[in-house]
Amino acid sequence: MTVAHSRVNEPLPQGVGRLSRRWFLVVGLATAGTAIGVVGWLVEHEQGMVATGMRDVGTMGGATWGLYISMVVYFVGVSFAGITVAALIRLFNLEHLKGVARMAELLTVVALLLGALAIVIDLGQPLRGLVNLFRYARPQSPFFGTFSLVVSGYLFSSLVYLYLTSRPDAARLAAKPSKLRPLYRVWAAGYEDTPDQRARDRRVTFWLALAILPLLIVAHSSLGFVFGLQVGRPGWFGTLQAPAFVVLAGVSGIGHLIVLAALVRRVLHEEHRIGMEAFTWLGRFLMLLLFVYLYFVVVEIFTAIYQPTVNEQRIGDALLTGEYAPVFWGSVAALALPAVGLAWMAVTRRWRIGWMVAFGALVNLGAIGKRFLIVAPSQTHGQLLPYPVGTYTPSLVEYAVVLGLFSLGALLIAGFMKLFPIVEMEEATP
Amino acid sequence: MTRRGIVTGGMIVTGLALMVLAYFAGAAPWCNTAVECSNPRLEWSPAIFVVGVIVAFSSALYYSMSKSDKK
Repeated sequence: MTVAHSRVNEPLPQGVGRLSRRWFLVVGLATAGTAIGVVGWLVEHEQGMVATGMRDVGTMGGATWGLYISMVVYFVGVSFAGITVAALIRLFNLEHLKGVARMAELLTVVALLLGALAIVIDLGQPLRGLVNLFRYARPQSPFFGTFSLVVSGYLFSSLVYLYLTSRPDAARLAAKPSKLRPLYRVWAAGYEDTPDQRARDRRVTFWLALAILPLLIVAHSSLGFVFGLQVGRPGWFGTLQAPAFVVLAGVSGIGHLIVLAALVRRVLHEEHRIGMEAFTWLGRFLMLLLFVYLYFVVVEIFTAIYQPTVNEQRIGDALLTGEYAPVFWGSVAALALPAVGLAWMAVTRRWRIGWMVAFGALVNLGAIGKRFLIVAPSQTHGQLLPYPVGTYTPSLVEYAVVLGLFSLGALLIAGFMKLFPIVEMEEATP
Repeated sequence: MTRRGIVTGGMIVTGLALMVLAYFAGAAPWCNTAVECSNPRLEWSPAIFVVGVIVAFSSALYYSMSKSDKK
């Protein structure tokens, strides 16, 4: 038997195409979660927005933006780190991080899809909203940036990026006999592993990465401007909103990436491709972003409570000692503890993947809490007109939909892992 | 310059041109006081903007996937 022939008969790498009991369990749970979300959305669609905890600001003492918008901001934030890390890997040829490049790209695409879905779910009449957005959206509005740059430009460019970087692997897989071979042939789309093609791919991914990095800074800033430019809404109006959005986006995304990388490393036994160096790099990056964000939080709070107007005072009180205090202090703790823990690991140079995974999960809980606090309190406590203080509590329907979104994300990633290697394949030695 | 380079460059320029056209058709940067200036002057201009974005980034697909000019 020749070497080439024995290679051809090898099974597909990384468990692709092989369905295990553990995989069915994960997919079963994710499908059940997604079904709960769909039921929640159908209830909302049937009964209207009254099925949610959202009510008009002021006259009904509620909030018109709630958990869904918090999740839009959160998911778009998660997408940030994925494509940032992927772009940095290609731009600076960070070899030790190449094992996480594809999962970072996938995380971006999945998170952006979930963010776009969360927007659609937040619209009482999704179809009307979608059609009118393409027809009448006004470029003067920061929402235009969110819609045109985040959802269309950012998602499309990330898809292009993911596709182009996966073509070489698709061509390698198409050379192996398997049930998925026709799919890989289409995916590879005539890819030939020649020096000319490799050089062209390097050029195109470099320029794409270079185009995507500023695009995503603008995109995330525009999402921050949706809140930060509203002069009539105390608590939102401020110059720190846009940079804080970008930094917290990095925090949640890197946290997710650490968790996903550790999971893939363990499940697929890819310790040699996703080494300790990758986790150390991600841990340092996360630590840096966390300290910058905590600094923003301190500055924001200090500015708000030093000499506040009546409305700002009301929001500050609600956050620090009132209705939202448990979420606020819980979120701060969920961000500060990992920052200290990561700093300790950096100083002692003793990095522990288990702790990093725990920190990655914790910062995401903190990020969700902070996103909620950005969205809700200014509506319930920040109105300038003389309405009484409002309240917002998400309904079961909203929780069901959010569970559905997370489950759908897990389902998409689990599905991808059985169709395609989530860790870039090593180039065959000649 | 190869045909691949010309087409790729053309796609990028076309995409950017569509975005600029859509922006100025949708917004009214030099006329921001009258109500009529606030409405898009061309219906579906946001959709044109999105098409521009897609065309510009599709140039990467074309550049990477097109067959070589060399025989």
